[in-house]
Amino acid sequence: MSRRSLLHALAASLLALIPSLSTPTPAPANAEAYIIWPYDGAVIDGGKLWVRMGLKNMGVCPKGIERPNCGHHHLLVDVELPPMDKEIPNDRNHLHYGAGETDARIELPPGKHTLQLLMGDSKHIPFDPPIYSKKITITVR
Amino acid sequence: MIKPIATLSAALFVVALATSVGFAVAQGTSGKSAQGSAAKTGGPTAAPPNGYLYIGYPNDHQTFAAGKPIKVWFGLRNMGVAPKDVKFPNTGHHHLLIDVDLPPLDKEIPNDRNHLHFGAGETETTIELPPGKHTLQLLMGDEKHIPTTPPIYSKKITIYVR
Repeated sequence: MSRRSLLHALAASLLALIPSLSTPTPAPANAEAYIIWPYDGAVIDGGKLWVRMGLKNMGVCPKGIERPNCGHHHLLVDVELPPMDKEIPNDRNHLHYGAGETDARIELPPGKHTLQLLMGDSKHIPFDPPIYSKKITITVR
Repeated sequence: MIKPIATLSAALFVVALATSVGFAVAQGTSGKSAQGSAAKTGGPTAAPPNGYLYIGYPNDHQTFAAGKPIKVWFGLRNMGVAPKDVKFPNTGHHHLLIDVDLPPLDKEIPNDRNHLHFGAGETETTIELPPGKHTLQLLMGDEKHIPTTPPIYSKKITIYVR
């Protein structure tokens, strides 16, 4: 009995530690991110395009703003989804729109490319459950 | 070498000061006539001069069947969205004007069935409209729902419900 209660106490203290390290922001009910334009399979001449970032049942707010039911867009280019419990990387494959942008101007070299949206909270960490769009493929020629 | 430049810049500063004072005085005397242009310049919050607001959907002159919700996409370029009460450079929140002209651009945007506020940072909505001809237009407001300077608004589109 005493050993078990000790284990319980130990487990409880460990569990208590975990949320203090990183508490994921709960996702708003039915929130959905999607790419309005371009459409899946689109062929783009020249490679310069505006990506229209769509969001249902939640709002957009810039980075650093702690508010319920809002987050900001991240556009993943030619890359798989990153770990969902960590800050989204910030590089040429993971574009951050931390100023609340909803239209993204990008330029891509000729060839096939994938685009996918992933919402991040005020600290660029995905929501729980994560909110991401379908991954689309476009061709630049 | 430095002294003449310093005196020159000091002189320039005095001239600039004098002009700005003169300008302020001129503004003060012609307060009433300046009101028209003040309304066009919007409120105290600055917006990027290339900020571009558009209705991504519906299309101008599109026709819809009555009794069905209509999706409206808010398009915004060269600036961002922030919820009401959030002050962040180059952001604002969307207001959808239905069947109405632009309100005064230096005052808080009215909040009624002709002026829908999207203060939670929403970037799309669905609306239902009675049969007939309707107009839609977007207008950005700052954290206090006052249009920016320059005011950022979309083209006014017309849609039909029948």
